[in-house]
Amino acid sequence: MNTFTPDEFTGTTMRSSSALSTRALRNTRRLPSTFLPTLAMPIFQSIAFAGTFFAITKIPGFPTDRSINWYMPLAVCMGSAFGGVGLGFSAIKDIENGFFDRLRMTPTPRRALIIGPLISCWVRTLVVVTIVLLVSFCFGVRLTSGLVGLAMLYVASLGLSTVAAGWGLGIAYRFRDMRGAAIMQLTLFLTMFLSSAQTPLNVMTGWLHTVARYNPATNILRLARQGFLGDVTWNGVWGGLVALVGLSVLTLWFARRGLDSLDR
Amino acid sequence: MTSPIIATGLARYFGSKDEPIKAVDGVDLEVKEGEIFGFLGPNGAGKSTTVRMLTTLLRPTAGQAFVAGYDIVKDADKVRRSIGVALQDAAIDPLMTGNELLELQAVLYGIAPNQMKKRADELLERVGLTAAADRRVGTYSGGMRRRLDLALSLIHQPTVLFLDEPTTGLDPMSRLTLWEEVKRLNSDGTTVLLTTQYLEEADQLADRIAIIDHGKIVREGTPRDLKAQVGAPTLLITVAAQLTETATQVLKEFGDMRPTTEGTLGVGLNAGVEAVTDVVRRLDEAGIRVQHLELNEPSLDDVFAEATGYRLEGAKQ
Repeated sequence: MNTFTPDEFTGTTMRSSSALSTRALRNTRRLPSTFLPTLAMPIFQSIAFAGTFFAITKIPGFPTDRSINWYMPLAVCMGSAFGGVGLGFSAIKDIENGFFDRLRMTPTPRRALIIGPLISCWVRTLVVVTIVLLVSFCFGVRLTSGLVGLAMLYVASLGLSTVAAGWGLGIAYRFRDMRGAAIMQLTLFLTMFLSSAQTPLNVMTGWLHTVARYNPATNILRLARQGFLGDVTWNGVWGGLVALVGLSVLTLWFARRGLDSLDR
Repeated sequence: MTSPIIATGLARYFGSKDEPIKAVDGVDLEVKEGEIFGFLGPNGAGKSTTVRMLTTLLRPTAGQAFVAGYDIVKDADKVRRSIGVALQDAAIDPLMTGNELLELQAVLYGIAPNQMKKRADELLERVGLTAAADRRVGTYSGGMRRRLDLALSLIHQPTVLFLDEPTTGLDPMSRLTLWEEVKRLNSDGTTVLLTTQYLEEADQLADRIAIIDHGKIVREGTPRDLKAQVGAPTLLITVAAQLTETATQVLKEFGDMRPTTEGTLGVGLNAGVEAVTDVVRRLDEAGIRVQHLELNEPSLDDVFAEATGYRLEGAKQ
């Protein structure tokens, strides 16, 4: 017979979130093939872009004489963003095999189903940023503004992974199958590359310049590059912080609404 | 005392508003405390959709339902705390071990940390998975996954248990083991709603049965009462294909024709078992040679056939 009554339950958001993030991290360890691409790609991009587009540093007014200082923060941001949408892929897998129904049938607060995986995403992002940084230092990246500049890269990466996770989960909860995966990746790819990802804003012209100027990814990349292109300035930081906070709130709201839509 | 499951006019439509697909179309249901209630029907009849609504996974398009005394829409959270659910296709993360899954489930149900381990060990022992507790679920057999699924649904000691086709795809031995466990749980006081497409399962386990077809409940009662309603025994006869029409005319003299599987004729014998010799004699007089003859007392399959016009374990007539 039942010995618990509804009032005796001690479920909390943080306890459930912690258990769900542990599950996600444990599964990453058991199936590393789901994580390795998000680590390998930024390393490859940092080295390959820096080598291929070395001549970009010859453009008058280019903010650094080391191409890897320009491309490494981009690669880290790309890796963080794709790590974030990876949560969407995991959610689709759980929805398709029915495991997500099991989670939804529990009385745990619904926000825990988003926060738990998000925490695991932050942990993976921290690992990726740190390893890419260490490898990039071996290939000549130079920190120009000390630990504060380094912190800006971490803030941008964690923020971007949050934005991408919210977006990925929101899409996953609405499409509920792998059709959503293509949308997640395509939108993210376009957003990142229609910004100052490859070249500084001042050397762009025409519609690309206009789009990049208003694309919040431009401000986020500026934030990420603060520690590698000179001194950290408030002018270079605030736009990225506002973009990250605003987009995080919007995409997490989008995810939460998507989660609720599963009941309908 | 309020019944643990009450549904009134419960409906769920999919697709467009102009041409909705009525998966569940006005189900009225009352499951009494302490009973095993069987929900019988073929694939696509609306069983799983009904269960998904009653377990708060899907909102009804119309109607109302109360589970464990709580409204499934307004008090979904309280319903979730009171029920255990084992859905079709044991949805279990194959990368996790049995122990890890039970611990996760315990946390999500808010069970106090000092009770989690004890409860998990009890359940693993109960379903015979103690030795496999630290193995990844991906290495479990189908029967083991089902038993773990059952254990997971019991972690918070629910008063109402939903089992959605719990033995589909299991071998006979695993099926019997699960039946025994369901009976044991029920004898401990748990109310069980069980969906199944197996007549034998419904007959063996359920105190009462509802037959659902095309989203509507077409019969409801105890297996004994339902069989009694069908009345006469069914005589099944196989004759040469070209003589089917003539044989049907002969059989109609002895009672109503009943739906059967393809290639077989079925008649409800109004005069009872004694009429069998007369039937054979009349067929012989009509020049029809009987290839196969079988006499069946009323079964749930007859009840199903009488209610829906086709047999659950055969082709549509």
